[in-house]
Amino acid sequence: MSRPTARKAAPKGEYIETDSGNKVSRRSAITGTANITLGGRTVIMADVVLRGDLHSTRPVPSSSGKEVTPTSISIGRCTVISTGSVIKPPCRTSKGMPHYYPVKIGDNVFVGPNCAISAITIASHVHIGANVTIHPFAIIKENVKILPNSVIPANMVIAPGSVVGGQPARVVGEVGEGWGVSGGGAGGGLGVGGGGEEKWVEGGDLRELVRSIK
Amino acid sequence: MAQPFPYTYYACDCFDSTTTTASKRASQVLAAAAEEDERDFDPRSPRSNYSLFPLEHLLYCEDCQQIRCPRCVIEETLNWYCPSCLFEVPSSVVKSDGNRCTRNCFNCPVCTAPMTTNSLDTSGDNGPPYILACPYCHWSTVEIGIEFEKSTGISSQLARVANGGKHIPTQKERDKERERKKELEERRREGRAVMSPSEESPTTDTEREEVAPSHDELFANLGAFYKSQMEAQTPSNPFSSHDINYSSPSAYSRIVNLYSSTTSKKNKRNKHTPFREAGSALEGLTIHDSAADAAAIERIKREGWGSTLSPSTKHAQINPNLRFDNELRPLATLLCTKRSKRCRSCRHILSKPETKVTSTRYKIKLLALNHIPRLSIRALPLNINPAQQQPLAPPARPESAFNYNGLKSGIPTHFLLHLSNPLFDPIRVTLATPSTTPGKVQSRITILCPQFDVGANTDVWDDALASTLSPINRTSLINDAGQIEAGKIWDRGRNWTSVVVEVVPGFLKPVAFPVLAEDGKGGGEAEGDDGGLDEDEDVLEIPVFVRIEFEADVVAEERGLGVSVGGGDAKKGEGGAREKREVAFWTVVGAGRIAPL
Repeated sequence: MSRPTARKAAPKGEYIETDSGNKVSRRSAITGTANITLGGRTVIMADVVLRGDLHSTRPVPSSSGKEVTPTSISIGRCTVISTGSVIKPPCRTSKGMPHYYPVKIGDNVFVGPNCAISAITIASHVHIGANVTIHPFAIIKENVKILPNSVIPANMVIAPGSVVGGQPARVVGEVGEGWGVSGGGAGGGLGVGGGGEEKWVEGGDLRELVRSIK
Repeated sequence: MAQPFPYTYYACDCFDSTTTTASKRASQVLAAAAEEDERDFDPRSPRSNYSLFPLEHLLYCEDCQQIRCPRCVIEETLNWYCPSCLFEVPSSVVKSDGNRCTRNCFNCPVCTAPMTTNSLDTSGDNGPPYILACPYCHWSTVEIGIEFEKSTGISSQLARVANGGKHIPTQKERDKERERKKELEERRREGRAVMSPSEESPTTDTEREEVAPSHDELFANLGAFYKSQMEAQTPSNPFSSHDINYSSPSAYSRIVNLYSSTTSKKNKRNKHTPFREAGSALEGLTIHDSAADAAAIERIKREGWGSTLSPSTKHAQINPNLRFDNELRPLATLLCTKRSKRCRSCRHILSKPETKVTSTRYKIKLLALNHIPRLSIRALPLNINPAQQQPLAPPARPESAFNYNGLKSGIPTHFLLHLSNPLFDPIRVTLATPSTTPGKVQSRITILCPQFDVGANTDVWDDALASTLSPINRTSLINDAGQIEAGKIWDRGRNWTSVVVEVVPGFLKPVAFPVLAEDGKGGGEAEGDDGGLDEDEDVLEIPVFVRIEFEADVVAEERGLGVSVGGGDAKKGEGGAREKREVAFWTVVGAGRIAPL
């Protein structure tokens, strides 16, 4: 059970909350906001860098003929991006021109502090430890746990339910059948108030964690 | 997988039950079992390595009403798939081609990262030739002199080309070549009319390419040789006096012959030629060649150790006899499996994932999480100031600053043991722990409230609507001396209760502290075996015995509805039959690491 990332005793109003419940730190560095979508109840912590300005330069075919803003980063619901992490869309050079591809991150993904992420896809219920580097075009499937300090090499596909770690990362195990099942059993809202257990588990529903971040 | 502190492992007692019954007589078993019950669980015993699991890895057999760990389940493979391309591989292909991906998935032989197919074409339109390259360590097949003409079907292309770009004959070509060589040899032998294997010298014809045969080639030769031997061994007359032994391959092929070949009767039954061993390279014999060794030594002299392979790299290669880095081959990705799990004793299915590779859902999944209370430990904030304690706000929890890796020896530290109940019945819990932790570093442990009740895991709204639980006045828990009073629970909620555990971390070095001398308990033994600390001896792991009692609905269980599923029924009390249940198990709680003084 890893602890939540170091939550600094923030002054009031550390987070800007949007209508859909996204919490974005005032101290995060986000560029190209038009190209970023957040699914709702997603937390972007302090010192997170989202490079939304690095979007695809290819013309997007649109039915209405209108100019469509290309998406460069899309993040699902109840996902937590911890302090100091960087999300940068992967880039491929073809014919001397760099082309950026959009990053897609699913629901209930926990990204630990100080990660550098250039993956093309991160599916839902993925737990990424601290100081993880994900090289361009990696694909991470559902229910994957990435151990802290791992380096995921470029183009690597991580099968659902794997535990990976190391530099370069390799599959070191499988998550148990109980991955992401919160401890209280069905509908397991655990203890409320002081002394209660952490109300979220790795790979599980992060709604409680999101709620507790203020 | 090492987990960060604090953690909880659950002990599955499956290893105990098997070993005692296997080796001892019945009377002894009983005695041993009684002894076993008396003994505390030792998390440092080498055997407990195999019985401790995190709760989410454990399953629960509802028929046996027991925890099932990865060691006491039977696994059945549902399908094979490549973890890299996520394609399912049929079992027939696994049988014929082995457990490796036959598509384009390769791992770097040096660093194990997945390799990519790159074009060496500089004109910019990604034409041939192609290579496999590792994006992580930049090793590529250029280093072993292999290039491909197409960017797909890499593994079949790779199978046909040796390092350096030479063509590898296929199995068929190899067989034909072997036959040709054999015939040649035969003819030569006849020509000489005498068998003189000692003066056999390679003639000009066979010298066409007299390179040492490769590992694969030798293996194929050996396989073919034994096959021919076996055939020769098979008597042409199936109705011979021998007993037919169905397990031996020769007898089997004899029976098959019985139906298939009528012509074989014609060849004379030559009386049992003895089964001989391979006698030449054509038959798969490798003779140790000292010249090769000398060449290898010469090469190491010339190029240094850098050109040799590390043991792990060597081990990963398919050919075990490689020495140098120019002999490396890209490794086809190993396949993974999806498996269902059954209880070892009653054979009921405990978990069965959906067969589709990309699906992460389960058809059946009986988790221990839904049947066994979850135990967790965390440090209690040190500032036991009643005024501050009361409105303990969750976001600014002071304990997040607690250093679990630096427990201070000899200073009483309080931990909070939190137990949450997944069952739909209220449970009565009894906790027990040895007074000192096993191992060289002896820490004293006291559970301040070893017996308590935990509420049922009812609907979340019940808690909010019916506020039957009286809020615990925590000021009453702390007496005038600022100590936490024993015998009272710390806090509780709908389906959880937490109690305080007092731990006095032991001393890493048995120094003659006055404290220890007075203590009398911790000091004596530690000085006895002063052999220095082993690895992780400074980790404070507390064995906790948990026993829970509850009344459960009998009917709901017998109808096959799990407690988790039949919760609603259980509350209605269909049939009204209730039975008393008792579950007991050991857990090990990792509270932290004791800092050196």
